Amino acid sequence: VTRRSVLQLIVIGLVAGAIATAVAVLLPWLPPVASKEGQRIDDVYWLVTIISIVVFAVVMAVLLTALINFRVPLDDDQDGPPIHGHTKLEIVWTAIPAVLVTIVSIVSAIVLADNGKASGVGRPLHVRVWAQEYAWTFQYPEYKNVSLPNLVIPVGRSVELTMRSRDVIHSFWVPQFRQKQDLLPDQDTKLIITPTKTGEFPVICTELCGLGHSVMRTSAIVKGQAAFAAYMTQAMTPKKLSGLAVFTQNGCGGCHVLSAAKSTGTTGPDLDYLAAYAKKAGKPLTGFIEESIVNPEAYIEPGCPKGVMPPNFGQTIAKPQLDALVSFLAQNGTKAEPHKGCG
Amino acid sequence: MTAVADAHDVHVGASRPHGWKHLTAPGFVRAAWMMPLFALIGIGIVVFFRWLGHYDPIWKWETITVVAFLTLMPLGFLAGIGAFDYWAGYFIGRPTVADDHSSHGARSWRDYFRVNTDHKVIGVQYVVTTFFFFVIGGLMAMVMRAELARPGGHILGAQQFNDAVSSHAAFMIFLFIIPSFAGLANFVVPLMLGAPDMAFPRLNALSYWLLPIAGLMLIGGFFAPGGYGAGWTNYPTLSTSQPWGNVFFCMAVQWAGASSIMTALNFLVTIITMRAPGMTFWRMPLLVWANFTTSMLVVVATPFIAGSQFFVMFDRVLHTHFFDPNHGGYVLGYQHIFWFYSHPAVYIMMLPGFGIMSEVIAVMARKPVFGYRLMALSLLAILVLGFSVWAHHMFVAGMAPWLRVPMMVTSMIIAVPTGIKIFSWLATMWAGRIRLTTSFLFACGFITTFVLGGLSGIYLASVPIDIHASDTYFVVAHIHYVLFGGSVFTIFAGVYFWFPKMTGRMYDERLGRLHFWLTFIGFNATFFPMHILGLDGMPRRVYDYAPKFAGLNLFISIASFVLGASTLVFFYNMIKSWRSGPPAPANPWGGKTLEWLVSSPPPIFNFDTIPQVVGGPYEFGIPGARHAVLEPEQQLHVVAASETEHAE
Repeated sequence: VTRRSVLQLIVIGLVAGAIATAVAVLLPWLPPVASKEGQRIDDVYWLVTIISIVVFAVVMAVLLTALINFRVPLDDDQDGPPIHGHTKLEIVWTAIPAVLVTIVSIVSAIVLADNGKASGVGRPLHVRVWAQEYAWTFQYPEYKNVSLPNLVIPVGRSVELTMRSRDVIHSFWVPQFRQKQDLLPDQDTKLIITPTKTGEFPVICTELCGLGHSVMRTSAIVKGQAAFAAYMTQAMTPKKLSGLAVFTQNGCGGCHVLSAAKSTGTTGPDLDYLAAYAKKAGKPLTGFIEESIVNPEAYIEPGCPKGVMPPNFGQTIAKPQLDALVSFLAQNGTKAEPHKGCG
Repeated sequence: MTAVADAHDVHVGASRPHGWKHLTAPGFVRAAWMMPLFALIGIGIVVFFRWLGHYDPIWKWETITVVAFLTLMPLGFLAGIGAFDYWAGYFIGRPTVADDHSSHGARSWRDYFRVNTDHKVIGVQYVVTTFFFFVIGGLMAMVMRAELARPGGHILGAQQFNDAVSSHAAFMIFLFIIPSFAGLANFVVPLMLGAPDMAFPRLNALSYWLLPIAGLMLIGGFFAPGGYGAGWTNYPTLSTSQPWGNVFFCMAVQWAGASSIMTALNFLVTIITMRAPGMTFWRMPLLVWANFTTSMLVVVATPFIAGSQFFVMFDRVLHTHFFDPNHGGYVLGYQHIFWFYSHPAVYIMMLPGFGIMSEVIAVMARKPVFGYRLMALSLLAILVLGFSVWAHHMFVAGMAPWLRVPMMVTSMIIAVPTGIKIFSWLATMWAGRIRLTTSFLFACGFITTFVLGGLSGIYLASVPIDIHASDTYFVVAHIHYVLFGGSVFTIFAGVYFWFPKMTGRMYDERLGRLHFWLTFIGFNATFFPMHILGLDGMPRRVYDYAPKFAGLNLFISIASFVLGASTLVFFYNMIKSWRSGPPAPANPWGGKTLEWLVSSPPPIFNFDTIPQVVGGPYEFGIPGARHAVLEPEQQLHVVAASETEHAE
């Protein structure tokens, strides 16, 4: 090893490290953090990033220096020196990575333990989260069990989510909170979030759950303490039953177009044309709509996929809500001209 | 020497049948009538028992498909082409010829399309077949990227998109990466060991012929109701509530898995019992070490995925309740069984590539592998640790919370033996005399991308970061850095490295370099931005995404088409060189291991005399030192030379 190649090694290593650092710092990797848990996760993220930059720079330096200095023409037939190993060097490159990953493990374990504890102001707020193909429902035991289609939470106070799926596995994720947890049909799972910023953030399903997986979204709305209290008081006051609310709450818009609800899903049939489908099926409109919700396989519009619509809406939607939904759909799905059902 | 070879020649090559004999002689004609026959028997069994038990309806497509079309018809195919002929004859007491080599070796292209017991023919069959499935899996990826080029569904429906996602993964994992390594090793390992063939040549032939069956089953699944809506992970309860196309996936995994297990057993027995005299374990080339450890992984782990898919299929067809939450089933149990295979599977897809890298780097840099023993030991360390990290795929799945930290620690520790390998390859290159052939370029590309994949692995092994990054495009980026930048680059390196040995022709080095650079640039441009997408909030397995990701997704789609086009250069080079490349010398790269001591392509029984191994596999730089000798009279002289100068 000549002095020149050591110098090259250092220069290339510094350049590679600088490029990697620029990529890590200048590109927008993480969305702005909006929870205490997320802040701790970001600390681990930056620790791993620093280690990664160093390792990457070292490897690139050795690889490129070797390629520059030790390259010979393809028809060269001399051997390199018979070096079989170097015990001290091998101990070093076993020990250093072992120390680095131990550090990362310890820091990660501490952050994980901290993130499992409610660290916000006052008592944590309990919210029961329900997922089903392809909708989210958030239920508030402390507020007369009111159900909302969005996760509405106060800033600064920890929220403890107890989550369950009604059918297949789903996964709850808010990128700005950095928190994610799968929802299972046979056991509860828990997640703690302590929001630090007000605003509206996406709630994304991250576990493949069927044809509507891409559209299984809602939002998490973080409000100031006072605004949250006011919102919940209003949410608790009994309202006139609205078919539109039932439609939105059950996630119908994820798969169906309905102009009256401004929904755009294309997996299932376009509900503006319900009258046309009922005519084709040879059934009265309201009876047809109710049957199609409760027993979706009874009539499949040609061109639409079978076995996609959850078969359990008959159990999950209470009778008054179902009636409201049926009459809402009957009023708005009036187009009777033939139409391509899906897509 | 000649006496043995002549005796072989008498029996080599099947005689071609005439007239009506076509119908009964093993081959595709016999398979063509045996397949419907077996299928009819299967239909008969199902219909008869459903009728007997008063089941309604008597004709149930899902059950009939599993029994008749996915189990018995493939068996009919195997029986038809003659995969069982020898055993069947033995079973019914026909006289067997101890030295019967009628199914061994290739005299014309036709011999590649029949049951052939020559490990070299099987190796080529494997590699060519798996590259066919590589194209199918790649086209699925192209279709996905076309859909994802802009937000909003426009090309595919949700169903077709999910089909493309699941089958892309299934083809690439089960029908490309795993079996193409098995194919390369099939060709090279017996040669490296100084053996005339694998330990069980007929089992070897059977293992190969299970693969096209699994592949056709995966293709067939597209046309069944529901396709593969549940991803290659096939998690219940989504998989158990899908339309019945799902059983195609469950059964294809059985056939591909059986193929893997049988090949792995074959490798283990071959490596343990058929090493040439003098080939101690510490004189085995690292490729052999790699396939030795991989085979142990396969034999232990693969039955778990077979079990998991059988359980899903039983839940669907037999109405068992393994994963049915309404009847005491345990939904998460599936994921534990599945990942107990599928994490070791990552190493099944990595270790053979590590072996290829050690060969390519040592030979092209003309230096002994740095720290040979530690390289072999780190393979064993990965083998053992590989079984203790599976639940890192389940950090957010809702499993017992106490499992998270131990699984994180083992996942982190596995970076240590992997790091040893990377540093040792770099040290092997250092101060060598590097010839920048295509295979060596792919080795350098591999080190670069695999280090990046390993580093993103550290992020994912850390539980808190994984909670954010799990199931996002960050994971998509990571697995492609590991399995494409890792495994596939090593497959390309291996194909270029042994192409002269396999075909007897040299490939075009300039086209090879063009292929490398297009692949390397296309790969990084495609997959690097996915890290950003994932951390910024884009989940995986979606056909639609938030408008703010539109720019990066368009860039990725364009880059992926460059990557797709790069394989055209590869195929053009391979096909053209195979047909009309310049003849290859026995040892074009100056390798020391045994496969380079025989002609290209090797003689039909590999070695005319049993070779004598006299030293380590990478004795570069020591004048006169050799790994093995073929001519008995040279032996004494060379043993003396190597033992006096052998370092370490």
